[in-house]
Amino acid sequence: MKDKVTLRHGDGGKHTSILIRDIFHKHFHNELLVNSLDAAVFDGHHGRLAFTTDSFVVKPLVFPGGDIGKLAVCGTINDLVTAGARPLYLSCGFIMEEGFDMKLLEKIAVSMGETCRKTGVKIITGDTKVVEKGSVDGIFINTSGIGVVQTAYQPKSIEEGDQIMITGGIAQHGTTIAVKRYEIKVEGNMKSDCMPLNHILERLQPYMGSIKLMKDPTRGGLATALNEILEVSGKGVLLLEEAIPIVGEVKSINQMLGLDPLYHACEGRMIIVVDKQKSGEVLEEVRRCEGCEDAAIIGGFLPTNLPPKVVMDTVIGGRRIVGPLEGDMLPRIC
Amino acid sequence: MRRKMDKDLLTHLINEVNSMVTEEIKIMEVCGTHTQMIAKLGLRSLLSSKIKLLSGPGCPVCVTEEKYIDWAIEILNRYHVTVATFGDLMRVGGGKGSLLEEKGKGKDVRIIYSSLDIIEMAEKNRGKQVVFLGVGFETTAPIIALAMKTAFERGIDNLYFLTSLKLMPPILHYILKEANNGIHGFICPGHVATIKGADYFKFINREYHTPAAVCGFEAIDIVAGIYYLVKQITQGKKNAFQNLYKRCVKPQGNPTANLLMEEVFNIVDGEWRGIGNIANSSLGINEKYTRFDARNAFVVEDQQVKIRTSCECKDILLGRKTPKECKLFKKRCNPLTPQGPCMVSTEGACTIAYRFGEEV
Repeated sequence: MKDKVTLRHGDGGKHTSILIRDIFHKHFHNELLVNSLDAAVFDGHHGRLAFTTDSFVVKPLVFPGGDIGKLAVCGTINDLVTAGARPLYLSCGFIMEEGFDMKLLEKIAVSMGETCRKTGVKIITGDTKVVEKGSVDGIFINTSGIGVVQTAYQPKSIEEGDQIMITGGIAQHGTTIAVKRYEIKVEGNMKSDCMPLNHILERLQPYMGSIKLMKDPTRGGLATALNEILEVSGKGVLLLEEAIPIVGEVKSINQMLGLDPLYHACEGRMIIVVDKQKSGEVLEEVRRCEGCEDAAIIGGFLPTNLPPKVVMDTVIGGRRIVGPLEGDMLPRIC
Repeated sequence: MRRKMDKDLLTHLINEVNSMVTEEIKIMEVCGTHTQMIAKLGLRSLLSSKIKLLSGPGCPVCVTEEKYIDWAIEILNRYHVTVATFGDLMRVGGGKGSLLEEKGKGKDVRIIYSSLDIIEMAEKNRGKQVVFLGVGFETTAPIIALAMKTAFERGIDNLYFLTSLKLMPPILHYILKEANNGIHGFICPGHVATIKGADYFKFINREYHTPAAVCGFEAIDIVAGIYYLVKQITQGKKNAFQNLYKRCVKPQGNPTANLLMEEVFNIVDGEWRGIGNIANSSLGINEKYTRFDARNAFVVEDQQVKIRTSCECKDILLGRKTPKECKLFKKRCNPLTPQGPCMVSTEGACTIAYRFGEEV
């Protein structure tokens, strides 16, 4: 195996086959993948299916707590999970620039394979393209996924009194990436929250009747996701600043950089809107999941006599609007 | 426990403030971090509507003149240099666009966080000329001075500084000299005071008989500042001054930082976006360090930039109007297409009013 990806690895010939065999088949190994030619063929499932796609272009490619491969698998799994679906199969497409480090590609494939094994999800078809140097920034990955929607779950209309829960500390992924991207020299245990969420879904099966809505706060963070919930439901959101879980390091780094944790992407968190009566039990269940120990109820919905907006009661008891992200956050002068 | 005590104290102070005030009181702060904290805390929602918290010209990016951005873009395009900048300068438009747009065209624009990082950047890229955009107030100036001094001592010859460093007192004099400014009290910027000292701001009460307090940036610092000011104002103590940020601010400031500034800079006239030229309001690079001055090292045309819009930023920065009183606010002027200085940075009064939905 060469130590760099070359244009020949993407020409569909012998070198492509070697690359697929020695890296992708090796680390994603499953019968459906290795036995497929142009398309994977699998048995149908009864009931409703969920289907989603996402492309991943993160920089840096490797970060504390994950890499673009883990992100690409978790991202699509999590999109299926928020639709109430048990993820089954993924496709993945790689677009790489020539000269891309083969060892790094293998590292990415290893973490994709590991995440799949952990979650019982299979990558059953894929595609590899190599483009001239400079045409893409290292590597781009697209994953699509199919899952079976759990019969008990369907989004329900939100009512006054419903509670909003987050399954763990916010802003860890976005902050970790910002620290790397801006080469900020800080020491600490900063780690992306990137993780698959399907185990939460399994644990919450008995409560599906009380769960109104699920959403993962990826790009644009918690604030933007809540504004999307407002758009869909027409119900004003009331956040309680004090209740939002956020680790000290994340808070401090963002303060230093002038960035707002409410707008950082989370890649392993879910917002769950739940009926008030069951919210305590659901919270307990979620907290039992690995990586969700800090899950918390962070707010609810505004009475209908108030204008439908996302507002937050601040640590000092003031109230302010929390709008969606507009334009990338950039660190400020300090 | 401490949090609970802090909260009780805050509630107590806020209640006191609200009970003291009988007529409208206008308090101005002149620091972007104060502007942002006040909005983030939702402080206005807790205070009596008679208390108007105004946001003055305290955001360095907001007051950076259009032609400065144009110079940076011209140097970038004409000389194929690396431009290193603080993040929030990226979106600021000049007459010819923004650095973010230039980066999108593939130009070498890099965001840095600390001005000392540019030393490393220049040393690692000896074959490339690096131009650092040094923007800020007295707070940022010492660290830029240190970077320049370090570059001088190490004989780094591929690093240049395009500076737009502003001074706080001249703009405050400008605001206070106006007879009907209507401002009853000032929250002085804690960061600037850390460098220059609390005494740096005593002219506000001595010369203009307006109460002032140096404040820090925690909720309790700001609320205590408002409490102090409202108390002095309602009791008619016009010459009151207090340093409420003693844990960081000394009367004379930080001597090391001031020596560094004296070593590298001299005082010159300065252009303030939306306001105009103010005498002796800026720091220029002195003769000893002139070889680092990007304006000497690169030929840039000093074009007259046409003022593009009819926004009310000048009046907002000077405390005469609030963002909502500008007819462009939330319409043509928003964070993605800012029309005036107050909307260009995350610390600008209009951006904050836009984002947090409150009057600044």
